[in-house]
Amino acid sequence: MMLRSLRSDLLKIRRKGLWFLVVAAPLGLVAMQGLNFGLRYDYLSDRYKEDLWGGLISNINPFIPMALFLGCTLVSSLAANIEHQMSSWKQLLALPISRSAVFLAKLLLCVLLLTVSCVLLPFFTAGLGFLLGFQSPLPLSDLLGMGFYPYLAAWPLLALQLWLSVTFRNQALPVSLGVGAAVISPFMGNLSEWLPLNWPMLALVEASRLIFIISGVVLGIVLALLSLAHFNRKDVD
Amino acid sequence: MVNEMIIQTVQLTKKYRGRPAVDQLNLEIAKGDIYGFLGPNGAGKTTTIRMLLGLIQPTSGSISIFGRELKRNKLHILRRIGSLVESPSYYGHLSATENLEAIRRILDVPKSRIDEVLDIVSLTKEARRPVKGFSLGMKQRLGIAASLLGNPELLILDEPTNGLDPSGIHEIRELIKRMPEQYGITVLVSSHLLGEMEQMAHKVGIIREGRMIFQDTIDHLRLQAAHDIQLVVSEPDAAIWIARDLGQTGTLQEGIMTFPGMKDAQIAHLVKRLVENGHAIYRVEQTKKSLEDIFMQVIGEGA
Repeated sequence: MMLRSLRSDLLKIRRKGLWFLVVAAPLGLVAMQGLNFGLRYDYLSDRYKEDLWGGLISNINPFIPMALFLGCTLVSSLAANIEHQMSSWKQLLALPISRSAVFLAKLLLCVLLLTVSCVLLPFFTAGLGFLLGFQSPLPLSDLLGMGFYPYLAAWPLLALQLWLSVTFRNQALPVSLGVGAAVISPFMGNLSEWLPLNWPMLALVEASRLIFIISGVVLGIVLALLSLAHFNRKDVD
Repeated sequence: MVNEMIIQTVQLTKKYRGRPAVDQLNLEIAKGDIYGFLGPNGAGKTTTIRMLLGLIQPTSGSISIFGRELKRNKLHILRRIGSLVESPSYYGHLSATENLEAIRRILDVPKSRIDEVLDIVSLTKEARRPVKGFSLGMKQRLGIAASLLGNPELLILDEPTNGLDPSGIHEIRELIKRMPEQYGITVLVSSHLLGEMEQMAHKVGIIREGRMIFQDTIDHLRLQAAHDIQLVVSEPDAAIWIARDLGQTGTLQEGIMTFPGMKDAQIAHLVKRLVENGHAIYRVEQTKKSLEDIFMQVIGEGA
């Protein structure tokens, strides 16, 4: 039943620019470093001569958590807004489909879209590396890590954003909160490791990253289940 | 099989912050009916309909549809209902066909059904255009097409003609009238205009401030209303005093006596007395009140 709802959602996001966003975000991150390395190739290739791939990746990494927060915010807001826009919730929920299926399909849609971004990021990064003339072997584990560790650690924010976007008809609140979180995230690093906002960065750079990844996934699922419980009983106007 | 109930609510109540929006409503809709659900704006029509569709939870009371309780058999029941709630819901960036396809993927009915319902609401020609460019009437027809997609046995339409121009209203009305005849679908349609219902509904329920104040056939509604009786006699000036003796206070204007709200027995008695007193009676007439007047009278009662 959830898959039927997901197939319906995939149709609804046509021509909404979501797929463009999903490709443009990782491309943008990599293009920025293309510019960086392109403009001062001699300096940077000398500085990272021991490990050129590592140098490239370490220059992209600081921007990943922020991009993820923005991604979670925009994707969940757009996914929810499709239904808000012409008050389609009432039509959708009067169909013979459980509310859980509807909500989980939306969540799955966001996860799917963000996963595409996170798969593309290592590909684009590798592409840029080859373009800059870096040699094989590819640092596979680092590349996969940049794609997936921070993403999994960002699940709590994704669940929160989806809940806010679905609950409030006016998207100003969820979008402001999400963008706000993204903007302040680079300056939160000094604060506690307990702050979920820091987990994506910690999952990227800390040796003990596993705990942050697992915490992210677990807290994300817990928040998603709470949102689901709320969605299941709320009145639809 | 006589009068099999499709929708039955018992003491259905919904309160918002302690104030009842729907108050102990007993709705009864029989199979094959076109049931007109009437009431002024804000009377609780939409709230009731949202409860029937499981969109909001009743505070108390029960709803059974197709003889089963809604709460426990929600998905089974919704499978057999098509609905259109208030303002049209649609995805503006998609074409009419894509809009229906988005719903079809959830209902899991054959693809051919999309063309069938587009044909029923005569939107086949416009099927490929983005819906945001549609007129309100076309969007509303698309909404009806969407509600028919799952081959429903019951259609619940909330103010389907709201905001439409006369030709749009006419189209929707003709569409609704065909449903029981051609497809055997029972229809619940709400409106705040009685005149509109008169032309399609068999039975009406009128609610006011959340309470059902009338529920029966349109014909009964007409009978229920008090009519004026007009008499034309040979000597009206004397006749009006005879009537007053019988307790009937009438008005006399241009030789026509008018008495408000007389019962059959009272009319007979008055005529008899007039004849006994030597009056020649030329005409006894009942003035027809328009249904709109009756509606206002029913709604006004108990105010």
